[in-house]
Amino acid sequence: MTTVDGLAHGLAVALQPSVLIYSLLGAVLGTLVGVLPGIGAMAAITLLLPITYYISSEAALVMLAAVYYGAQYGGAVASILLRLPGTPQSAVTTLDGYPMAQQGRAGVALFTAMISSFAGSMLGIVILVLLAGWLSGLATSFGAADYAAMMVMGLVAASTIGEGRLAKSLAMVVLGVILGCVGTDVNSGAQRFTFGQVQLIDGINLVALAMGLFGLAEIIGNIRKAERDGPPARVSLRELVPTRDDLRRMVAPITRGTALGGFFGALPGTGSTISSFLSYALERRVARQPERFGKGAIEGVAGPEAANNSASITAFVPTLTLGIPGDPIMALMLGALVIHGIQPGPMMLEANPDMFWGLVVSFGIGNLFLLVLNLPLIGIWVSMLRIPFRWLYPAIIIFVCLGVYSVRGSTFDIVMVAAIGAIGYALTQAAFSPALLLLGFVLGPLIETNLRRALLVSRGDPMIFLERPIACGFVIATFALLIYGFVKRSDQGSQASSVAD
Amino acid sequence: MICCQTRRGAAVAAFLTGCALSSAAMAQDWPAGPVHVFVGFPAGSSPDTIARIVAEPLAEALGQPVVVENRPGAGGVIAVQQMLARGDDSFGININGPLTTAQRLIPDLGYDPVADIAPVGLIATSPLVLAVGADFPADDLAGFIEAAAEPEAISYGSVGEGSGAHLTAELFANAAGVQLFHIPFQSYAEVTTSILGGEIDSGFMAPSAALPQVEAGTMKMLGVTSAEPFAQVPDVPVIAGTAGLPENFRAELWNAFIAPAGTDPAVIERLNAELNTILADEEVRERLLAMGWQAQPGTPDDLAQRIRDDTALWGGVIDTVQAAE
Repeated sequence: MTTVDGLAHGLAVALQPSVLIYSLLGAVLGTLVGVLPGIGAMAAITLLLPITYYISSEAALVMLAAVYYGAQYGGAVASILLRLPGTPQSAVTTLDGYPMAQQGRAGVALFTAMISSFAGSMLGIVILVLLAGWLSGLATSFGAADYAAMMVMGLVAASTIGEGRLAKSLAMVVLGVILGCVGTDVNSGAQRFTFGQVQLIDGINLVALAMGLFGLAEIIGNIRKAERDGPPARVSLRELVPTRDDLRRMVAPITRGTALGGFFGALPGTGSTISSFLSYALERRVARQPERFGKGAIEGVAGPEAANNSASITAFVPTLTLGIPGDPIMALMLGALVIHGIQPGPMMLEANPDMFWGLVVSFGIGNLFLLVLNLPLIGIWVSMLRIPFRWLYPAIIIFVCLGVYSVRGSTFDIVMVAAIGAIGYALTQAAFSPALLLLGFVLGPLIETNLRRALLVSRGDPMIFLERPIACGFVIATFALLIYGFVKRSDQGSQASSVAD
Repeated sequence: MICCQTRRGAAVAAFLTGCALSSAAMAQDWPAGPVHVFVGFPAGSSPDTIARIVAEPLAEALGQPVVVENRPGAGGVIAVQQMLARGDDSFGININGPLTTAQRLIPDLGYDPVADIAPVGLIATSPLVLAVGADFPADDLAGFIEAAAEPEAISYGSVGEGSGAHLTAELFANAAGVQLFHIPFQSYAEVTTSILGGEIDSGFMAPSAALPQVEAGTMKMLGVTSAEPFAQVPDVPVIAGTAGLPENFRAELWNAFIAPAGTDPAVIERLNAELNTILADEEVRERLLAMGWQAQPGTPDDLAQRIRDDTALWGGVIDTVQAAE
């Protein structure tokens, strides 16, 4: 079956009324759970799983997939308006999205996020269709050494995200890495920093960490500020729409973000997270005035949003073509396929072309639904900011607790959120960047696992990082980044001193 | 005297009968409300799917809702703790780990698998298959063992230190008289990727994880750890008795229905009877098999025996592994 035949075939599957309805349902649910702080695609798909027993396998997977990428759209809303990211990817969106909202440009920020998400997804689908074969090879050609080198590069590249002093940025990354060490050591089975708490054996809950560091910390911070003096002025529709200048600024970041997301998304595991952070770091690097970042730069919303949506599309490549799920949500979707007697794996494209192509086409339809659904909602979301703090904040705290509890039904995690919230408040007051802590938390353990695994594979020979071409490429890129950083720093230093002279 | 004794005896007998009757009557009335089943793994995982396959007909048979409570964490241990903490009408569907090896691997387990758990019945078992990449030089078990003659020449992936995949591989290595090189991963998906990428040589894995790759011609299965050929992969030879391995070689993962110790024996009996009826259903057996699990109905005592045997078996392997470190 050629690609064109496949797409035509997929169109026929995806346009069946029942499949269309489930696609729309998934998109609506995805948006909804994405908007609710802490309740993510995982919780929604878990709840929907039993329903999928009773509908066709195509409809089931189309719906679950729509929830998965729909949640990315919704996640941007809570991140921009309330600084409540449910995932590390949305944490990147808060960096410039939230300042925009505070400057009264919430509508523009949301519009930017939606358009970037849509463009990223659509271009991601094109990448998926044209390069599926190549991308599926990517998953098996990356070994532990390559992952370790890639993530070190990601960490180095992204460490420029934090404003202010390098030492503060590094401190946050390191703290994140240390928090990431909590739990069972994969290599020895030893328990680290669990203090005898069985609840900590699997580590600190990521959602609890994100909710505490950002959302709760923000709420605590705002309690000290005076209650808003009445609701902010009503915004007209005109103010929601980006200016021509805004649109012009978006194009390049969206293109770069999509390319990054499309590539990294196809790697099982961290693709989506690392591509969001890299996209943000890249936009900041190439920007003419990098100092605008962190203060409401539209590029800082457009790039990462395009990246994480494009990544969420290509993340289906290893899942569908190799039967290798990249994250727990993908594993859940594989579970749904198995329930329907479809064995995901290398043979799926041949054995179930309906499923594969139907799903690909449904991505396009689902994203169209999401755009049509979300653009009119922007006005409503923005008006949420008019709710007085005394009503808004207790409601948010309740949703945060619900969301964190929904991850694994643990009350211990709710206590964790409270504690992390207090720490997060202290960090924000001292002008540390919690986004970097989150990045360290996610990447640190992965670097450690892959580094140690690579050394086990090579039986202790560190040359593996230079002998494998992919790893070697990333090592060179990392050093290039470091040297570039130092040169630029000393350049600025000498300029500053010559000015002083 | 005799008459007296008899009368007293009769009274005692009547009392005991009364107790038994009231207990039986209680089991008849039971359950008065929803029954909770704690599962140690997230939705969509195989223990969760097994629990849902069982829960639906069980709810019908009991006339009360059966609520599947996912409490993932610490390899199923959290769900056992939560079941014990919740008490009334709380049960568990869990894998072998929390009942056989957890006491050796987790220092603050918080429960004693023997004293605190009342077995209800085994649900299903699954063997592991020894899988290698398609271009591995050997095509059978004898060839694999030959290739592994030099200590640590052959590496294998597992799903974590102390996991079934790790312990099975060590059990196999002991029995075959070879030393394999262990590289822990976190999921079969990672092990599969690593074998396909040529990073590691082999792995003991769930048949359903290896099967799609074997069908695509990218992997080979050299042996299965069950005592009999396994229906999902009927062509794969059993390891027991092959290539000089002992006839009694057997390593199986299982899922079982458990209750807190102190649960009314009549309730356990009732649950066991319902469970065995469900597992006798052909459709249920087929659904389990499609996921790589063989239905294994039995008595609570069978499960107790299984727990004792496996605790001894894996305990021995853990001793060897720890001694080697």
